[in-house]
Amino acid sequence: MLASPVRPTLAGRGWAMARTERRHLTMTQTPASQGAPAEAPVQHGPGQPLPWEPVLMAAVGRTDGHLLPDYLVRGGYKALETCTSMTPEDVIKVVTDSKLLGRGGAGFPTGVKWGGTRRNPGPRHLVVNADESEPGTFGNRYAIEADPHGLIEGMLICCYAVGIQKAYIYIRGENLAGAEKLEHAITEAYAAGYIGKAILGSDGFDVDISVTRGAGAYVCGEETALMESLEGRRAQPRIRPPFPIEVGGGLFGRPTVVNNVETLMCVPHIIRRGAEWFASIGAPACPGPKLYTISGHVNRPGVYELPMGTTLYDLIYKYAGGMQRNQKVKAVSPGALACQLLPGTDLNIQMDTATLTRPPHWHPPFGPVGFGAGGIIVYGEETDIVQVVARASGFFARESCGKCVPCREGTHWMSDVLGRIAHGHGRPSDLPLLEDITRNIGGRKTLCALGDFSVNSVASALRLFRPEFEAYVNGHAPRAHGYGSIPVAAG
Amino acid sequence: MALSQAARQRIVNEFIPRYPSKRAALMPSLWLAQDEAGWLAPEAFEEIGELLDLHATDVASVASFYVMFHRRPIGQTLIEVCENPSCYLAGSDATFQAICKRLGLHAGHDGHGMQTTADGKYSVRPTECLAACDYAPVVQVDLRFHGPVREGDVDAFLADPSRFSIEGKPSVSMVHGPQATPVEGWEANAPPPVATA
Ligand SMILES: Cc1cc2nc3c(=O)[nH]c(=O)nc-3n(C[C@H](O)[C@H](O)[C@H](O)COP(=O)(O)O)c2cc1C
Ligand code: SF4
Ligand code: FES
Repeated sequence: MLASPVRPTLAGRGWAMARTERRHLTMTQTPASQGAPAEAPVQHGPGQPLPWEPVLMAAVGRTDGHLLPDYLVRGGYKALETCTSMTPEDVIKVVTDSKLLGRGGAGFPTGVKWGGTRRNPGPRHLVVNADESEPGTFGNRYAIEADPHGLIEGMLICCYAVGIQKAYIYIRGENLAGAEKLEHAITEAYAAGYIGKAILGSDGFDVDISVTRGAGAYVCGEETALMESLEGRRAQPRIRPPFPIEVGGGLFGRPTVVNNVETLMCVPHIIRRGAEWFASIGAPACPGPKLYTISGHVNRPGVYELPMGTTLYDLIYKYAGGMQRNQKVKAVSPGALACQLLPGTDLNIQMDTATLTRPPHWHPPFGPVGFGAGGIIVYGEETDIVQVVARASGFFARESCGKCVPCREGTHWMSDVLGRIAHGHGRPSDLPLLEDITRNIGGRKTLCALGDFSVNSVASALRLFRPEFEAYVNGHAPRAHGYGSIPVAAG
Repeated sequence: MALSQAARQRIVNEFIPRYPSKRAALMPSLWLAQDEAGWLAPEAFEEIGELLDLHATDVASVASFYVMFHRRPIGQTLIEVCENPSCYLAGSDATFQAICKRLGLHAGHDGHGMQTTADGKYSVRPTECLAACDYAPVVQVDLRFHGPVREGDVDAFLADPSRFSIEGKPSVSMVHGPQATPVEGWEANAPPPVATA
């Protein structure tokens, strides 16, 4: 069983705040604040417990955690109140000082995005990216289900800081339960006066929030495609510049902040406990709590809220219960399917945006391994990497929006070639052909990053597991596999 | 008429005022029309187009971009099986095939990736990651999450999907706070740490 001193029970959650204060002290005493170099890696090797308490997942385990009364008991909407007594510039400064990086994938500093949008003329918009469709990521889904008011408060703080009157949540169509939870929470918040006109009695602080459902297109997660979809068009990314924060580039042509669900959910906590507290958690370059989602061949797949920069080794063995059937780790997709594969020998790597986007985790011409939204897929030794990669490229081929040639043509070509290899009909010349295709799609040749995403797993698998591909194309495939018997999901 | 009077009113009074442009009401309007009829008939495109000042072809071109909008009638119950890597590793192919077999469908292609049983009760198709990978293999029934549905569970699942519902359930392992303590005895099964590359 879990060796926890206090199990969160419904009746006994009064400890949460007291505990918070105590933990707060432990957390600020990280190596960074003890005078060690700012870039000192986070140390939590075997046997070292983490000083950790729930931040983003504080509502989990409470029956009514998603309802307004419970949120208020937990100190809800207090951070918004604090903000309304500050100037918007000061709020942005706190968020900037916290070093909060966007959790949606690109890892852009949130405070900088907000400040940039505020400098452009109004009306401005806020868009919440709840499209979460990256295979292997599922943190947003649980966050919305557990704590929709946490998201709404984060949104309202953003609206106050940036000067926004209209906020839109765009949620993927498959997540009907999440959309319902959000609609309910929004109705509650309107009734209680947290959304609407003159919020908290402050003159001129008016915000309207609505939910729009997508309808099954992965590319809607890309911020400009998302805005196209919200405007009632096909979700095809826009050419930048102008960027979303600029006039002409955002939603309905207005300067727009696009933020991920998890990014915004961090904000109330930052206001409540201070930028310093947030910046002291985990990896110094991209601090904060992170909802890691682990799936694949681990014993305990799930959502793990841990400090940014937790090592892959700890995530797999210490928390996710090790590997099924005790097999070795063969490879890992550190940021879900969009990222390059990491070899199973690389487990001591810190899982954070800064580490995974700089050398040695950079492979020209394809760029960084990438951290994405922190959805980790673990492949054990028994995995047939060729099948996984064939499947991954099929996904990107189906989800390509078709706006630019390398992605529209290349992803299908790549998927066809990989499909034929996976079927056992590959030829030796297919491997150089694949490499050629990957080089012609990858390396920022496309309008949005989906093109690069599509080659990441293919190119890295060819680099790391070439003998397996060779076995397939030389007629020594491990087994005749039924790949391709699955029809393609298409409209 | 493809749209009911109530639906028209909702589009005009609720959806259109929600956005600064009429066109932006398109996604919710398409959802509403589909929820009413089960699919989107050509007349629905025309009627929505009239309300939003759009050409029916324009409406259809948007609807056809999104796989969740059906431009053909489908079965009463829609079963979608995730086929992406985490579910694949957990055996989703076998689940998909078992469901098809049990319902008398080919586990193969048909025009738009969707197959419907002759009695019109079920439509089945594979789908992309449903963001519930911890419950792999994941199956959606009319957009409600279910999992894990393994090959051997298929009979029980089709008899009563609600037994497999995961909605409102916490993650398989929701580890945080005081619970974020390592699994007891984890060192025994873990390989020795390796050097960072
Ligand atoms: C193909 C593609 C898919 C994406 N999918 C998502 C997604 O599902 N959720 C998300 O938050 N961001 C996604 N992003 C990243 C967004 O474009 C954007 O960077 C992010 O929402 C910004 O929010 P943040 O600053 O809070 O991270 C995707 C990007 C690309 C290129
Ligand atoms: S890279 Fe692919 S998905 Fe992105 S805009 Fe180009 S065609 Fe569309
Ligand atoms: S891979 Fe199936 S739900 Fe994510």
